[in-house]
Amino acid sequence: MDKKPDELDRLIHERIRLGIVSALAANDTLTFADLKEILQATDGNLSVHARKLEEAGYITVTKGYEAKKPRTEYSLSPTGKAALESYLVKMESILDSTRKALGKKK
Amino acid sequence: MAKSVPALQNIPKTTTLQYKVLCTHPVQGVEDVSASTDEATREAEETLAYIRTTMETAGGFTPISGWGLVLVGLLGLAAAIATSIRSEGPADPTIWIPTAVLAIVISTTATAKKGNKLNIPLWSGSFRKLAWVMTPALVAGGMLTFALDAAGSNLLIPGTWLALYGAAVTAGGTQSARDFRWMGLCFLALGAIAFVRPEFNIWLLGIGFGGLHIAFGFRVAGKYGG
Repeated sequence: MDKKPDELDRLIHERIRLGIVSALAANDTLTFADLKEILQATDGNLSVHARKLEEAGYITVTKGYEAKKPRTEYSLSPTGKAALESYLVKMESILDSTRKALGKKK
Repeated sequence: MAKSVPALQNIPKTTTLQYKVLCTHPVQGVEDVSASTDEATREAEETLAYIRTTMETAGGFTPISGWGLVLVGLLGLAAAIATSIRSEGPADPTIWIPTAVLAIVISTTATAKKGNKLNIPLWSGSFRKLAWVMTPALVAGGMLTFALDAAGSNLLIPGTWLALYGAAVTAGGTQSARDFRWMGLCFLALGAIAFVRPEFNIWLLGIGFGGLHIAFGFRVAGKYGG
């Protein structure tokens, strides 16, 4: 995915996807049910956004069974972690520019 | 007055991304730019607050103070040394009860301080969960101490303390930093040794409540920013 250096990563800029990577940054793994509860998202919404992140290589998905019920587990990949980190730096630089602009006004 | 906020790039690389977010981005937004009407700025503030809240809700991190643990460890070591000097038995209550009370005060104060730095109140969701999973094993440890003392089985008390504290910390580790699970398991192992070899009780108490707290305290402080 080619991006200009200053461009925001639109893939994780979307609220639910940003929520998924943020929640996974705080945990080694989370199940589909965990993410659904944390983000208060519907099944359909969550699975669509999770698939987009998986396709981009930002998260890894492990599917299995627990007590005969399907269990999907997600974790943040190194690419996803790097993307979140750079997204945070960009957000901070926006705030930083405003601070500087306000500083000049004073 | 606005709280000074360190830039993300200035946070040491050894700390986790979650700590970086909690430390650098207050949930209330960045006060010194809140007057700005600039849409991009407002969106950036909201987004950072959203990331922070999501990470907090997702758990896996609580502001337990590593330095507080180091102090508790030093106190544990001092208590073990005092116990060996007084020769009243390894589970000498005149030493270990005040030590436990002081340890609770130190760790609570240090954790509240770190929580304040990260804008996480002491009685937040993650702390409540932590209290719920840890308290039963600790209360059981207290009850067993009285029962074993009444039955004259004082030699079993240090093993009980180590094992049940280990059980509490291991359970707490599921709601907090992963390192605590390992610390809990180490305590459990020391408890098992204490039951088999009670002649080493004082040493094991010193290694557990002293050494393990100090070692993991340094690890937590280095990894999670204090």
